[in-house]
Amino acid sequence: MNDVFIDIDYCQIYKYGQKIGGDVFLQKRNPERNQIVAVLSDGLGSGVKANVLASLTANMAKKLSFSPMDLKHSAKIIMDTLPVCKERKISYSTFSIADIRYNNLNSDISVNFLEYDNPKALYFKNDKSEYWNGEKIILDRKKAFKEEEILHNQFSLKEGDRLIIFSDGVTQSGLGTSSPLGWRLQGVNKFVEKVLNQDSFISSRDLTKKIVHKALNLDGLASKDDITCCCIYVRKPRRTLIVTGPPFLKESDEVMCDKVKAFQGKKIISGGTTAQIVSRILRKKIEVNLSSWSKDVPPFSTMDTMDLVTEGMLTLTKVVNVLENKTAIYELNNDAVKKYIELILDSDQVHFLVGTKINEAHQDPSIPLEIGIRRTLIERLRKALEDNYLKETSIEYI
Amino acid sequence: MSKRVAIKICVGTSCFVQGGADLLLYNEFINPEILDKCDIEGISCINACKNYKGKEGAPFVMINEVVYGDMTPEKLSKLVTEVYYARNK
Repeated sequence: MNDVFIDIDYCQIYKYGQKIGGDVFLQKRNPERNQIVAVLSDGLGSGVKANVLASLTANMAKKLSFSPMDLKHSAKIIMDTLPVCKERKISYSTFSIADIRYNNLNSDISVNFLEYDNPKALYFKNDKSEYWNGEKIILDRKKAFKEEEILHNQFSLKEGDRLIIFSDGVTQSGLGTSSPLGWRLQGVNKFVEKVLNQDSFISSRDLTKKIVHKALNLDGLASKDDITCCCIYVRKPRRTLIVTGPPFLKESDEVMCDKVKAFQGKKIISGGTTAQIVSRILRKKIEVNLSSWSKDVPPFSTMDTMDLVTEGMLTLTKVVNVLENKTAIYELNNDAVKKYIELILDSDQVHFLVGTKINEAHQDPSIPLEIGIRRTLIERLRKALEDNYLKETSIEYI
Repeated sequence: MSKRVAIKICVGTSCFVQGGADLLLYNEFINPEILDKCDIEGISCINACKNYKGKEGAPFVMINEVVYGDMTPEKLSKLVTEVYYARNK
């Protein structure tokens, strides 16, 4: 697995009273080609019309970025395709496209960055803001209603770097109310600097949430436009180890425990017998937490140096179902499954250490069918994590 | 001083799905006076489903280090009361 992770996330609040956003953010990873594309588009106006314009723009930008076409030509195609507004007689939506490519994440991450009419993105090296000046490209389109100027920049990202992209809902927040000219780019820049000084390892999810909520506050808690912010952050990956099932050979018990002990990151033990093996060899006590009751899954336990200890197959089956259906965390009961989901969704890389011994007690015909074969279940879990949550996973059988 | 009763309820997969889940609601069926004299904890697996020599099956509960199978809330409540009075004659 890579030692560097590209953390991309965004936060969005619609214009007050709207049920649909006029800003659209899309991201797609293509691990086979080592490419990630992140697009933010802001459609003319707000509501459904703006959403159609922005969705069209973002989707086209995403598709065209994966094609070998020149970015300038892609921009022309996008603008020619957009439908014309009946009132204003123009077709218009802004966009920022970050086309990220890498050969090997540990050495070189290059970004081809294109901006059209969005506020200028902020570039931070560790917690210091860096000035960047792009090359201006004039589109020279026949149907254009104004001079169309695209800002193009190509640069490389290193560990600790952040690229923060936002719509004008952020920079214009507070316009005419809390400040005469709005928050403006300098205001956002100062705010991000302050946040990074307090927590220089803040995740993209938390940083964008802070920016968007600050903008909402400046607007007096009733947003005057769609407020969207996205962040691309290159950082060390957060890792989680999931140990499940006893090893096939009893002699491998110690090998398994050595691996658990040596792992750098969060640790989850899934399975009663597995927990007992680890407890016996590492001499740590298991304490079952009986304070929360659920009819679906047995209670979780605690063990020193482990982040979570749960029962095996029932809990794993529930976890897989939740991840496959993309159930929101707040909809879950406060039980082992919720704790499990919170831990794995908070990590970037999940490593599985799977014991291959078959549990004789699970061969009893009176046990529900849903207790499947551990290996099948882990494969489903890996697929859900990779496809639905863009996590990196690896597996090792013991 | 009265001697306390140590109860360990198995929360392993096999026991949990065959009735163990209900045993965890012990507050609702064990006499509160007796419950006060018990130390109840969960155990990730008693390993009784593989090693138990008796005829009973899951769910298993261990009371003062003795394993009992085919446990139900009623049976557990009765058993705990019996064990408590036997120890505190």
